[in-house]
Amino acid sequence: MTAVIETDGLGKRYRRQWALADCTLSVPAGRVVGLVGPNGAGKSTLLNLTAGLLRQTAGTIRVLDGPPPSRPEQLARIGFLAQDAPVYAGLTVAEHLTLGARLNLGWDAGFARDRVDWLGLDPAKRAGRLSGGQRAQLALTLAIAKRPELLILDEPVASLDPLARREFLESLTEAITERELSVVLSSHLMADLERVCDYLIVLVGSRVQVAGPVGELLAGYRLRQDPSAPPASLEDMVLAAMRHAAGNDDNQQEARR
Amino acid sequence: MIWLTWRQFRSQAVTSLAVLAAFAILLGATGPHLASLYADSGVASCHGQGCQGPANAFLDQVSGVFSLVFTLGLAAVILAPAVIGIFWGAPLIAREFETGTFRLAWTQSVTRARWTAAKLALPGLTAVAVTEGLSLMYGWWAAPIGEAARLDPGPGPGFPLGMGPFGLPDFDAHGVVPVGYAAFGFTLGVTAGLLFRRALPAMAVTLAVFAAAGVAMPLAIRPNLFPPAHATQSLAANFSGGQSVRPGGKFTFALDYLDSQPGAWILSSGAVNAAGQPVSVMPAACGGAAVGPSDLSHCLAGHGIGVAASYQPTSRFWPIQWAETGIYLALALALAGFCYWRLGRRLP
Repeated sequence: MTAVIETDGLGKRYRRQWALADCTLSVPAGRVVGLVGPNGAGKSTLLNLTAGLLRQTAGTIRVLDGPPPSRPEQLARIGFLAQDAPVYAGLTVAEHLTLGARLNLGWDAGFARDRVDWLGLDPAKRAGRLSGGQRAQLALTLAIAKRPELLILDEPVASLDPLARREFLESLTEAITERELSVVLSSHLMADLERVCDYLIVLVGSRVQVAGPVGELLAGYRLRQDPSAPPASLEDMVLAAMRHAAGNDDNQQEARR
Repeated sequence: MIWLTWRQFRSQAVTSLAVLAAFAILLGATGPHLASLYADSGVASCHGQGCQGPANAFLDQVSGVFSLVFTLGLAAVILAPAVIGIFWGAPLIAREFETGTFRLAWTQSVTRARWTAAKLALPGLTAVAVTEGLSLMYGWWAAPIGEAARLDPGPGPGFPLGMGPFGLPDFDAHGVVPVGYAAFGFTLGVTAGLLFRRALPAMAVTLAVFAAAGVAMPLAIRPNLFPPAHATQSLAANFSGGQSVRPGGKFTFALDYLDSQPGAWILSSGAVNAAGQPVSVMPAACGGAAVGPSDLSHCLAGHGIGVAASYQPTSRFWPIQWAETGIYLALALALAGFCYWRLGRRLP
């Protein structure tokens, strides 16, 4: 299996604080990969490094078999939806589509128009007056319509209410099924990931605790589980992994003392 | 990329066009009347000493609405670069950081270098064009006043007329220097916005630095761009300046105006004896109650004392204008280069 993202000892430091340290992981191609972890695990830093918005302090990172994008033809291969789905408040929905068309090489104008239509977004409405869910949908439309090979979504639903969250994820699944697309999406909400992801990476303190196809991970975890207990959910499994990581941390601190 | 930059800049461009239009209407409505007053005054056809009368009479007529337009226009030309730096430059990139939209822009298929170039070029060139446009219109309108003031030196009645072409702030509003000020103000704002990543502190710093440069330039740099010329003037002549006499016979003289160099910029002046040495203690014959203040300068002249001045002649107006513009443009280019390098190479 080829990897769309490969990192080795990757680290990013802000002044004295390491936001991501010594992270080694591999994200497989052709999957919808959920990147889970507690706040501060370095998920957002990792995804911003992947999109070329940050430059690493240590280690290496390869994205689609090359360095993180900086040239137009590299940028064109990656769709990025940043945290809180930033859009230009003063530009209308239609102007955002023009922006996408003007600033990209392989822009899918038909898809963008149809999707905005299907979402029921008024093209003449300024993006600043859209709801949080609509803003996220507009930003997602831009990210998909540039026809990327890798779509990166940084906490796409964190700021949405439960209904908007469900709608967003359902429309995401729909939009990506008919495309040859690798997707990485980060979240700290397990229920969201369960709905769309088929591969899971649990990141705690920059370290990969668990990585694998969702079905295999869950089956393996259930085998080790006490047979008398009700079958574990994905959330139980991830929580256990996080607790295990936290326990290791404590043990290491104990040992140091 | 130009499309996005234009779209983001559109409302400012429309505003600046409206300001230019309003300025043109204001000046166009009052300019012809001012020009006809000038034509009727006979200043244009006078010669030599005969000019002072008509020039003075013309300047007396420049009051009321003319005086108001004169002050307003001067303020508009002087303040435009600072306003542009604060309201166009500082938020240009700081707002992208504040709202997170830089992540949207930088993940389209356009390099950061192109993004930066478009963002700097379109508003930057507009800033320069608008400021120089204001300056040229104002220069056309105020030309008769400047000409009359040159022939009739001294502060005009009721409005802040400088002394000749080097007067403050006249020098800053004319010629090519507004181009330099506008380019510097804009790039200064952009750089502050890039470093602070928040518009408000960037705006404050832009104002502070621009004002500091605006004070340092005429006080410390402009006088020294070219080595000054020197001249000595007799005290017996028509003396225009300040003098002070203190107990003990210490005295000082300062020139406002050189008879041999009308419109020259006096950098420093002081009393000198016949040998050209500075003097500060007056001869005993001229001290005391025997000599009244009006006779003082004649008495001193009788003892061979004159006033020496170092100055920049009016012929230096354009060399100094170009040199100062060059300094500001070089600063602006350096700042733009820094933004380009910082955004294109180094990532946040």
